[in-house]
Amino acid sequence: MKYTPKELSENVNVSGGHPLVELAWLAGGLAAIIAVIWLGLFLVAELVIPRVPIDVEIWAGNRLLSQQAHRDNPSVTRVLRHLLAVLPGDSPLRRYNFSVTVAENDTVNALALPGGRIVVFLGLLKQVRSENEMAMVLGHELGHFAHRDHLRGLGRGLGVALAVAMIFGRDSAAASCATNLVHGLEMRYSQRQERNADVFGLDLLVAGYGHAGGATGIFSRLAGESGGKAAYVLASHPHPEDRISALKKMIAEKGYRIGAGQCSPGKVN
Amino acid sequence: METILNNLNLIVFVGLVALGYVAGSSAERRHYSSIIRREREQLKFQVMNAEAYFSEGRVGRAFLVSGSAVISIDYFKRLLGILRSIVGGRVKAYESLVDRARREAILRMKEQAMGKGAHMVVNLRLETATIGNAANQKGRLGSVEVIAYGTAITLNLS
Repeated sequence: MKYTPKELSENVNVSGGHPLVELAWLAGGLAAIIAVIWLGLFLVAELVIPRVPIDVEIWAGNRLLSQQAHRDNPSVTRVLRHLLAVLPGDSPLRRYNFSVTVAENDTVNALALPGGRIVVFLGLLKQVRSENEMAMVLGHELGHFAHRDHLRGLGRGLGVALAVAMIFGRDSAAASCATNLVHGLEMRYSQRQERNADVFGLDLLVAGYGHAGGATGIFSRLAGESGGKAAYVLASHPHPEDRISALKKMIAEKGYRIGAGQCSPGKVN
Repeated sequence: METILNNLNLIVFVGLVALGYVAGSSAERRHYSSIIRREREQLKFQVMNAEAYFSEGRVGRAFLVSGSAVISIDYFKRLLGILRSIVGGRVKAYESLVDRARREAILRMKEQAMGKGAHMVVNLRLETATIGNAANQKGRLGSVEVIAYGTAITLNLS
């Protein structure tokens, strides 16, 4: 038998197709799946959260946070009591037993936790110059309770974390990718919640003090420190300057008077 | 600046994937052109995986020849592999790795046989192994090894 060597022109062992096209299909498909999961959780949260009874929330909050250290600050609590006193009589917020905790942390932020606990970080407290500014901060957090944003974020966050962990495993590179994507979606939504909470806070501030003085003070101090607006595209809060202009617009629309803030330095720290 | 720092994980990840893609595909292109060129050069040299029978006195020497090649996956292919493993299907990204390793191993074996003056290789066998102890563990890059071995023979040409 004569051996005739032959060169193979095609390779059946390697599939064709550009790898980037494959990546686009796989990554795009998964992104779509995650977006659908997020949207589903979002809709469920939108349907369920407003119907969660406040009693259940308070019970869960106490169960979750009973171990947390509680550091009372009399002057901040006094501002909170003052604001709560001017809430309308039929406000659902009246059923909460609110408390304010000051957390020893330089973060410039405040949190609304389930069950009516407000956490103000020391970093934010140091920035506050007057009682009215404190009232604006607390009013903003009360706005989160009124709109029940604190539960929404919690529910979706847990759901997405579970879904991502189930699909990708606990800490793989793909999981971090997916989490970042969801984080982006979450933050855009979160910025809207913050704006609505600002509206609530402003109304409460005016109801409590008769004028809108101090509504923007804390934000203008923050605006000086925060970077450009590009950094805020994926941030949980809108850029301070945007918040100031939105608040000013609202003050003008509603015809609120701007009086001097009740300055009492040292009192809140 | 803060945005960059906050997303450092993501940036490093994207950077590694891009590096993996650019370096990996250029390495693959060069390797394939080398494989094709050398296969063409060695085209006349017979290799078969059949057990061969020769008439008495036809074979001069018979000895073992082997060649092995280890090819690593790159970060980009790993990402494709991970994504593919979620939905299933052909892992196209890995096919070229195994193909390259196989052909490279056979080429090296043939080079060894030709260097020792053999006329052909019979009884060719291929074995594969994944190496890098942690080939399938998280965060590690695995490699595939293919070893090709066979019996090289010299013929008494008279």
